[in-house]
Amino acid sequence: MSGSMSTPTSSPTSNSGPVVRPPASAMTRYSAMEALAALLTDELVVLSLGGAVDEWYTAAPHLREASLFQQQLGCVTPQALGLALGLPHRRVVSLDTDGGLLFNLGVLATLGNEQPGNLLVVVWDNERYQSIGGPRTHTSSGTVDLAAIARGAGVVHASTVRDVEAFAAACAAGLADQAAPHVVVAKVDTSPEGHAAAGHPVVRRKHSDGREDTYRFVRHVEATEGVTIMGPSEHN
Amino acid sequence: MTPTAVQAVIAGLERAGVTLASYLPDSLLKPLYPALDAHPGIRTVPCTNEGEGAAICGGVFLSGKRAVLCMENSGLRAAAEPLARMGLGSGIPVVMIMSYRGELGENNWWAVPHGITMEPMLAALRIPYRVVREEAGIEQAVVDAYEWSYSAYQHSAVVLGGSTVR
Repeated sequence: MSGSMSTPTSSPTSNSGPVVRPPASAMTRYSAMEALAALLTDELVVLSLGGAVDEWYTAAPHLREASLFQQQLGCVTPQALGLALGLPHRRVVSLDTDGGLLFNLGVLATLGNEQPGNLLVVVWDNERYQSIGGPRTHTSSGTVDLAAIARGAGVVHASTVRDVEAFAAACAAGLADQAAPHVVVAKVDTSPEGHAAAGHPVVRRKHSDGREDTYRFVRHVEATEGVTIMGPSEHN
Repeated sequence: MTPTAVQAVIAGLERAGVTLASYLPDSLLKPLYPALDAHPGIRTVPCTNEGEGAAICGGVFLSGKRAVLCMENSGLRAAAEPLARMGLGSGIPVVMIMSYRGELGENNWWAVPHGITMEPMLAALRIPYRVVREEAGIEQAVVDAYEWSYSAYQHSAVVLGGSTVR
């Protein structure tokens, strides 16, 4: 395993009042995305909702066709698992979130039982529901350790990382391992202030809906796998 | 569920080209699950809830393979959120085979809600379905569900009731 174990960096806060909390770590999600994108070539990516969609669209332009942009909690890693089981020779990356994984922790038990060796799960853990303005998730308390839950579910290669070097090393290890799934919980700063302070570019908005995203992704899989998924009708 | 009904389901899945089944086992379809596990051409992936199973099947669709989600009809309620997102939002279809708990003839009080909610839930999610109560109709219903879902890119369901499961 790479990286350090989770150490609480923030105190439990009330659900009431303004949402002002320190970032989950000094590592911006965008910098981690850049590091991961540099490791990927012909992988397939499934990713979750919220700010991660536009950031990945901007940080990994060479993977836009190979990325399925989803808008749903709890489905990203199960979809990536199905994709990985359907294409066992192809590396699949799930870009999940703390809120998304917490929505269906059971999938970790399924990963533990199925042991898909071609699946890397990255969890962007910013300790908040960023897409609706930042209310805290359960990981913000510092008592909930997603990597430990994953290990307890049988995903033995699960770690929490807080800097880009450790993140890149953990992802590289997961991509290189053909025998077992890896889970990398990346504590990240997703604040606009952190993004700007790091000198990251302005994030471009992705201009497409779920159906267009599905068609684009499927056409990429068809082209790279030599298969027909959404084919012609019997008659025109 | 009789052995011949199980075989009819398997025959339909074979004709449809299904190679992966995700399921959360229930009592009415109980004999189906070990039959799927034992099938040499079908990989089974037990799930922790039916929503997860639906998402797994959606991922399999994206790979170019074919999957089925098998469950009690109560699982439709658990799976409603991912089914709505994938089907209505993204055009990623899931074909389901579910038991008809709670139809007329049901003798368990806890199953009554399953019967009352299933068809309105299917209608709300815009999911076409066929209720099959005779073994003779099972195999073709499964085949037809795949033909439709892979043309519409929307979910469909085969509901096994009546003499097929009792």
